[in-house]
Parts: sequence; structure tokens; C-alpha cells
Amino acid sequence: MKVLSKAKLEAALNKLNDQNEVFVPMQKGPQSGYFTWKSFENGQDELMLDALNVYQSPKNVVLPQTEKMYSIKSQGVEVNIDKTYEDAHPTIIFGARGCDVKGIIAMDDVFLTRGYEDSFYKARRSANTIIANACYEPGANCFCNAMDVNSLDPIGADVILRDAGDGYVWEVKSAKGEAVTALIAELLEEKEAKLPEAKPFTKKVDYTGVAAKLKGMFEHPLWDKLSEPCINCGMCTYVCPSCYCFDIQVKMWGDQGYRFRAWDSCMFEEYSREAGGGNPRGASKERFRQRFLHKLEFFQERYGTPLCTGCGRCIIVCPTDVNIVRIIDAVKEAEINA
Amino acid sequence: MPDQDNKCTCSEQPLVPIIVEVIDIIDRTPDIKSFFVKNIDGNGVPFQVVPGQCAMVSLLPVGEAMISCTWQKEQEYLEFAIKRVGLMTDELHQIEVGQKIGVRGPYGNGFPVDACKGRDMVFIAGGIGLAPLRSFIKYCFKHRADYGKITILYGSRSKADLCFKEELFDLWPKEPNTEVFVTIDNAEAEWDGHVGFVPSYLEEVNPSSNGAIAVVCGPPIMIKFVLKSLEKMGYNDDQVITTLEMRMKCGIGKCGRCNIGSEFICLDGPVYYLKQLRDLPPEW
Repeated sequence: MKVLSKAKLEAALNKLNDQNEVFVPMQKGPQSGYFTWKSFENGQDELMLDALNVYQSPKNVVLPQTEKMYSIKSQGVEVNIDKTYEDAHPTIIFGARGCDVKGIIAMDDVFLTRGYEDSFYKARRSANTIIANACYEPGANCFCNAMDVNSLDPIGADVILRDAGDGYVWEVKSAKGEAVTALIAELLEEKEAKLPEAKPFTKKVDYTGVAAKLKGMFEHPLWDKLSEPCINCGMCTYVCPSCYCFDIQVKMWGDQGYRFRAWDSCMFEEYSREAGGGNPRGASKERFRQRFLHKLEFFQERYGTPLCTGCGRCIIVCPTDVNIVRIIDAVKEAEINA
Repeated sequence: MPDQDNKCTCSEQPLVPIIVEVIDIIDRTPDIKSFFVKNIDGNGVPFQVVPGQCAMVSLLPVGEAMISCTWQKEQEYLEFAIKRVGLMTDELHQIEVGQKIGVRGPYGNGFPVDACKGRDMVFIAGGIGLAPLRSFIKYCFKHRADYGKITILYGSRSKADLCFKEELFDLWPKEPNTEVFVTIDNAEAEWDGHVGFVPSYLEEVNPSSNGAIAVVCGPPIMIKFVLKSLEKMGYNDDQVITTLEMRMKCGIGKCGRCNIGSEFICLDGPVYYLKQLRDLPPEW
């Protein structure tokens, strides 16, 4: 099997970086997330390939937090759109965990299927290669196994890394994977490596039947209780590897500027507020319910898979201890005719 | 669900508007104007629509809003009847003929014009809600033999707020086998027509539910009570059609905000049979 020795990891990242923008999980000052290898500062930043999940998922590589869409020139009655900003520069996500790979695969369904291909997403995604990092020891808040994710063999990965102690087994899964492998061929060694034993998940989550059961629970009183602590801050949606909702806004300097899109959040009141003042989800509880039904019921219904990937980030960052696992449990236990 | 399959003409870049020129603006009511647009070279329009489809109207750089686009047999221009209700529509009401704006679309499924053939049609609208139904009404009159009796019931707050007056009082009542009923909310000196809300007037007029299809659009509160009235009058859930409104940004089922249950109103709607809506969470 092909193995990338850890001693050659930096050399490999440098090599990949020659022709690609390479995003790796790192601790960068107070932030933890996927940052460019180019920005890595020795002695200050820390590579986090061993961590299960850095705080920010790699979704910004294919769906940036803000993304320019097209230019606007506006003078009197004249308006021009001279330029659109589809960005197809080659990128590599290096070391994504299975949950984060699944987040991007779910976004592929949203942006590339059902009638329309989003040209901005398509450009980024088609030039993007995912080098995943298989998980052998799930963390305390991990439950991807319950959410349609195979953390040992993530679907959609172009290469899978397997940590075998002093090196990574390098497993090519696609043509894109072949292409990036060719870039570092001389750094890979052909040898046997002993893979670690996969440890069991400590968090037990049972999602079976939850989507179907939720279909009859829109008006269920449990939403009052579950949503009570939520302050609609939107933290969960920002760290979520699969939350993809966006807003379209404009930035102008005088008569020139551009439209851009930016991550939005169903937690915010303005998100669904209509011009006339009406809002189908004006109350905090209604937005809370929307988020969890979208994750656990609606997306499953439309795309055949849940929109939660079991990464556990929202559980960790929530300032009021809202916990999607407890919500799944509560739905499981709820009496339908209550 | 969609009866038609009109793909966006800007399918390569569905989120980027096409620049068009406003060739005419008509005041419909004190707060509703119709905007007519054409390609900037003066020839034709960027896309054709079927009745009930919408387009994103973009006043650059202010904003974009999803607006019902008026159907015509040969689409020489696109017409958008727009009420002044928010930031973008306020600004739009200030523009003059010659202004360049953006459009993208057409979006959504449109009315099931074929499935309704052979049926008596009952159109019930309030305020600006007549704008989308007007496309379907115009379609019926263009294909008059395909539809049975046509009943149009329309209401607004006041006489001044009645939209499309020429059609309501002059053109439509002259069409064969057609009745038009108009009401306003409160009595006025210059008004000798019916006074009262749409739902109660509808029950008074009581168009037969036998084989008929009712198409409803208006403010949410009107829709709510009209649906109750229709039920009382014997209309089944598969005899009632409505067209929904939600806040939208992308128009192509991606940005997330117009979803109700697993549906995206911009893409899968905005037109639904009541029967379909009953299966969705009651957020419409």
C-alpha cells in the first residue's frame, strides 16, 4: 500500500500547494478551522490532523462565508453587469473527517441537482479535491455512524488517509485523487503498514424512524420545551458542516460595486421576514423547529439522507446547551398523541 | 407537481440577472404600478412565461424580489405589477421609463392550465393577489373554448385600491359566459357596488362547486377565510388552487428560506392544490 510518512507530511503539503490552494485543519491563534497551508506559520500555528474536529468545518472552501457573484455598474438609468466571479482555482481539503466530507456531499445535492446548477458552487466544487482522514477513535460528541456517514470510508472522498502511527496510508478513491497523488508520487512509499483497530462510538444515537415520526410532530408540544433555552444566536448554523443557507447582498462604492452572497441562518428573524412584515417563522420556537426539522426530516424527505452529519460541533459550541442528540432522543421517546 | 417545465433561460448562470429596459410604467392604484420591460436592444424579451410563473426583478444595486410575471400569448414584453411594500419596491416606484433593471427567470411551476381544461373556473382574489390570477384569467380568455363558465370575484380595501380596473369593469364582463363580482371593504361615496369582505361575498355569490376549480390569491388572512368558505360551499381540496408567497433570495431552490416542509416554494411552487398543502406543515 501507498504510505506517506509523517516526516514527509510538510513536504507533501508544500508540493500540493504548488498547484493548489491547500486547506488543512489547524489551530491559528484563537481560531481552529481549515486554513490555507500557505498561511501556516511555524511556531505559531499548529497542524490539527490528529484532532477529530476543528471548530470550523471546511465548507467555506466550496461555499465561502462571503462570495462575490457579479459586478454592478449603475449610472443614472444605465446598469451593467460586466463580470461574474465564478472561481475555479484548484483547491484541496486535506484531512477532512467523514462528517465534513458528508456535509459537502449533501451540499452537492443542493447546489448541483434538482433542476438548476449553481454556477458559483459548481466552479469551486469541480476544482476541489477532498483528501479525507479516516476516524479510528470517535470522540465523545461524535455520532456520525447514526447519520448515514461511514467515518472509516467516507463516500465522496478522493483520497482517504489512514493514520498508521508514523505514516498515513494513502488510499486513492477517484480520478481527482489520482491527479493529486501524481503530484506527490515521489514522496509516497510502497510498503505494508499496520492500521489501528477501529474503536466503538461512545455516544449512542438511534436515528432510525425519526424522520418518519417527525412528519406527524410539527405541532407537538415538545418543541415548546426543547426550544426554550435557544437564543437564536446562529452559532450552530455557522459551525455546521452542512448548513448551506445563504443571503444575497450588495456592496457599492459610488456607482460601482458587486453583489455577493453570504452565509445566512434560519435562526435569524430577518431570514424569512417578508417585505410586507409577515413572517412564517417569526417566533423563536418556529425557527428552532425549522432548523431541526430541516436537518432530521425535510432534507431526508427531499434528498434521501439527513442533513446532520453527526460531527457534534453544534453540541460543543451552543451557549445554552441545546443538543441535537437529546432532540433525537426526545423525538424517539415522544408520545405522538400527547 | 409542475404542469409545465419552463427552464430558466439563463440556465448557465441562474443567479445572474439579465439587464432589460423599462419601456412603460402604469399606475394601477396609489401603491401598485405595472412595469413593462423589454430587451435592451428593443427586440423581444429574455424569456417566455407560463401563467403563474415568477421572475426575480432586480433594481441594481438596491435589491431583488420575486414577482409574478404577467402572461401574454406572444410575450412582446414582460409585465410586473408591483405593490410598494418594502425597501426595494419603494425604490422601484421612483424609477422612470428608460431605466435599466435586471430580471432572471422564469421560476416556479405556474398554474395547471391544462389540467383545468373543461372545468368551470372560479377566480377569487384580494388586492395585489389579482396579479398572478390575471395571467390565468387572460389565458382562459385566449383559449375560451377550453374552459367552462368563468367567475371572477375580486375585492380590495377601497375603490382606489382596485387593481386592473379596465379589465374588471370593461373587458372581462364582456367575455362570453363570464361573471365578474367586485367588492370593497368599506362603503364610499363614489361606490355603488358591493361592500364587504371577499369571503362573505363569495358565499353570497355561491358559484357552484360542481366540477369547478377555484383559484385563490390574496393576503394570507383572506386566503384563510376563503378556504373555509369554499369548504362550506362543497369544494374539495383537489378543486382549490392557490399560489404562495415567501421571502426568496435565489429563486432556484438553493438559498433555503422559502422552504415549507420538504418543498421549496420558488422551485416546486408557487402554485399548489389545497390537497398538496394539507400534507405540508401549516406555515403557508
